[in-house]
Amino acid sequence: MVNPVLLLAVPLAAAFSIPLLGFLSKRSGKFIPLLAMAFNLAVSISLIPAVIQKPIVVSLGGFPPPFCITLFVGPVGILFTAIIALVGFVVSIYAMDYIREGARQQYHALFLLLLTGATGVVLTGDIFNLFVFFEILCISSYALVAYTGDRAGIESSCKYLIQGSLGSAFILIAIALLYGQFGTLNMADIASRIDSASPIRLFIPLVLFITGLGVEAAVFPLNAWLPDAHSSAPSTISAILSGIAVKIGIYAICRVIFTIFGATDISLFLMLLGLLTLLVGELSAFRQSDIKRMLAYSSTGQIGLIFFAMGVGTQAGITGGLFQFTTHALSKSLLFLATGYMIYRAGSKEISSLEGMGKKMPLTCLAFTIGAFSLIGLPPFIGFPSKFTIVYSVLAEKSTLYIVFIAIVLTGTVIEGAYFFRVIQAIYFKGEKEKGEGREAPLIALIPLVILTLLIIGIGIYPKILSGILNSSASELLDRIGYIKEVLR
Amino acid sequence: MRNLIGIVLILIVASGVFLCLDNIPFGASRENVGDFYNSSGVKQTGAVNMVTSVVLNYRGFDTLGEVTILFIASLGLGAVLSTVKTSSREETTPSSLILSTGCRFLFPFILLFGTYTFLHGHLTPGGGFQGGAIIASGFLLRYLGCPAKRTNPSLFVALESTGGLVFTLIGLLGLTLSGFFLFNFLPKGEANTLFSAGIIPVIYIAIGFKVGAELAGIIDGLIVKS
Amino acid sequence: MNFLNSYIFYIGAFGLIFIGIYILLTRKNLIKMIIGLSIIDTGVNLLLICMGFLKKGTAPIFSRPGIKPENMVDPTPQALVLTAIVIGVAVLAMALSLAIRLYQHYGTLDMRKIKEQKW
Repeated sequence: MVNPVLLLAVPLAAAFSIPLLGFLSKRSGKFIPLLAMAFNLAVSISLIPAVIQKPIVVSLGGFPPPFCITLFVGPVGILFTAIIALVGFVVSIYAMDYIREGARQQYHALFLLLLTGATGVVLTGDIFNLFVFFEILCISSYALVAYTGDRAGIESSCKYLIQGSLGSAFILIAIALLYGQFGTLNMADIASRIDSASPIRLFIPLVLFITGLGVEAAVFPLNAWLPDAHSSAPSTISAILSGIAVKIGIYAICRVIFTIFGATDISLFLMLLGLLTLLVGELSAFRQSDIKRMLAYSSTGQIGLIFFAMGVGTQAGITGGLFQFTTHALSKSLLFLATGYMIYRAGSKEISSLEGMGKKMPLTCLAFTIGAFSLIGLPPFIGFPSKFTIVYSVLAEKSTLYIVFIAIVLTGTVIEGAYFFRVIQAIYFKGEKEKGEGREAPLIALIPLVILTLLIIGIGIYPKILSGILNSSASELLDRIGYIKEVLR
Repeated sequence: MRNLIGIVLILIVASGVFLCLDNIPFGASRENVGDFYNSSGVKQTGAVNMVTSVVLNYRGFDTLGEVTILFIASLGLGAVLSTVKTSSREETTPSSLILSTGCRFLFPFILLFGTYTFLHGHLTPGGGFQGGAIIASGFLLRYLGCPAKRTNPSLFVALESTGGLVFTLIGLLGLTLSGFFLFNFLPKGEANTLFSAGIIPVIYIAIGFKVGAELAGIIDGLIVKS
Repeated sequence: MNFLNSYIFYIGAFGLIFIGIYILLTRKNLIKMIIGLSIIDTGVNLLLICMGFLKKGTAPIFSRPGIKPENMVDPTPQALVLTAIVIGVAVLAMALSLAIRLYQHYGTLDMRKIKEQKW
């Protein structure tokens, strides 16, 4: 059995070696993220059967748990690592041809480090280590959003940087207050001591954590940076940011709330926050005419839905939330990758300039349509079982307030359908523009689209493939006592 | 009006913080991991500077993450500033003979002091990051005092990548030799001598070169491109 | 007076943090906002160090054989602050390089005028 540390050590070593290999050959940089993510995917999938039985706790440095940093590889961690590795692998195939100008070596190194930071956040069991890897994720994304160097990119990156750093400062204040009260930084150790402290003293650290991590997770009042950043980044980076980075923020919030603080009675607050984010995202997406900005606001809406599902707090609700994670990661990446070449051929980001693309780029537009249908939640695609699980879990609570919530969620779905259908109508049913070239996207960009489409359809038809790991992940997140016992045996 | 709302919000947050801080008396001892590190640190790691043993041995993974963050900063700087044309600076007054000779004379001594700091990281206060910052300040002095001499930026890139790679490879070597990443596998020697504490001086040398090269590269990028 | 004596460091750390947040909210020059971020980082680092202090404690270094570990301050917050300072420097470097490019594109650093991204 492979030691899970390799999931982090090998990509780091690969990223450090990219500039050295750049001295030998200028074009070798683009293969390294590909190889590192393929390695991660293989290792994480091979560890799944062992992890579902019993989580692996790795101590780094050889000392017993609370005195060193531990990696806690449970079902949630390995599921997320597999998704990150898959999306990273697919996007790096696409990027081999899409990224043509600029400092390419730095792009590939930053890209690999972003994915490594994301993997580190989900696998760690120590709160300061979570902060360090979270910073790796955030700083790489500040640099990558500004990669194209045009006016929009630099301005969005500036605003993202200022808001993100403020969030990180809040997280650090919360860590300081927790260390001062409990004297330790290990998540299981803090969780075992936190029952002895009165709730009023834990209020400020909890609020600071939710605010600091919420900037990256883009929950309602803190999501002003998201539409600008996701629409001005290059399409591969938009796919990674929407598909992975915002979700890592949500994972971190859930880990802090459920495992460290054990605060399951703020579920109503979380559900309201999720609903508010959902409504703001979907309504704003409806009035956009720029396709990437529309997709970015749609990401905000989906994050609201995931947050709402996590807020329900029951086993079924969290299973639905994790399933929606997978759906959004696969579908939103597919949408952004398909849009990348559509915009490149059409020359502009307006929806009106994409009219008639359906005839000139049939495969790409088909991929876009499948991604859109999956996000709305139509039957043979992966979006249907995930949304169904969320709705079913909320209805199982049997409370009239929750029925109102479900009505709002379904309204959001209808609005989503409306703006996606507007784009699909423009692509397929409007007339062709006279000028503008329109060849199909190159083969190397079609391979990732095909892989993602097959996964979306495959899991949509047989959702039972994922149900085993999703159920054990949900029970791991909720089972605090089990977590503490595994680490501090 | 906006200022007033800001001040009211700050007062509310301040009172909440004060409630929390009430539980943390200033200057009292916390008995948990800190006491363990102080009492058994020398025996377990061989370093006499407890902060170094925490930074590199007990929490070495955080240091690896920190080294990565500096690497990202230097890569990001290279990516963002790559298309800026090197500005043709108007002829500033060339520095006087005393200034430029003085700077060139001081430069090797600053490098020596920085090297001493990171080499003795496990014996005296200091370490890789502090030593690297001192080395970078030597480079800054040279850029400001005698701007005619420039160092090749590729040297900085090569040094920083090699430093990071050495750190990760030492960790992986520890993994293969004993099953734990970043395990202290070299002999610990006698405490309070230079060749003690296992892998700690080796990692600090790598970090010292890396941080020095990185900060000097960042300074070089910002001075040249603005 | 006793209250002030025992809480002066906390007041100082949080005072720096609030001054930094105030600068971020009310100033419109980008360089001043970046300085505000740096002041917030300084305040947070001071708060972290305060968490490890021991009254009448000494540095945790066993420079002579025979020193007892009872009166030493906690070394963990110092390790955390080492990492946090480096993270602050990295963010500062990124922010300054973005400020250089922004000035090149727009000719001004006034954040109220740089609003090309609409609703």
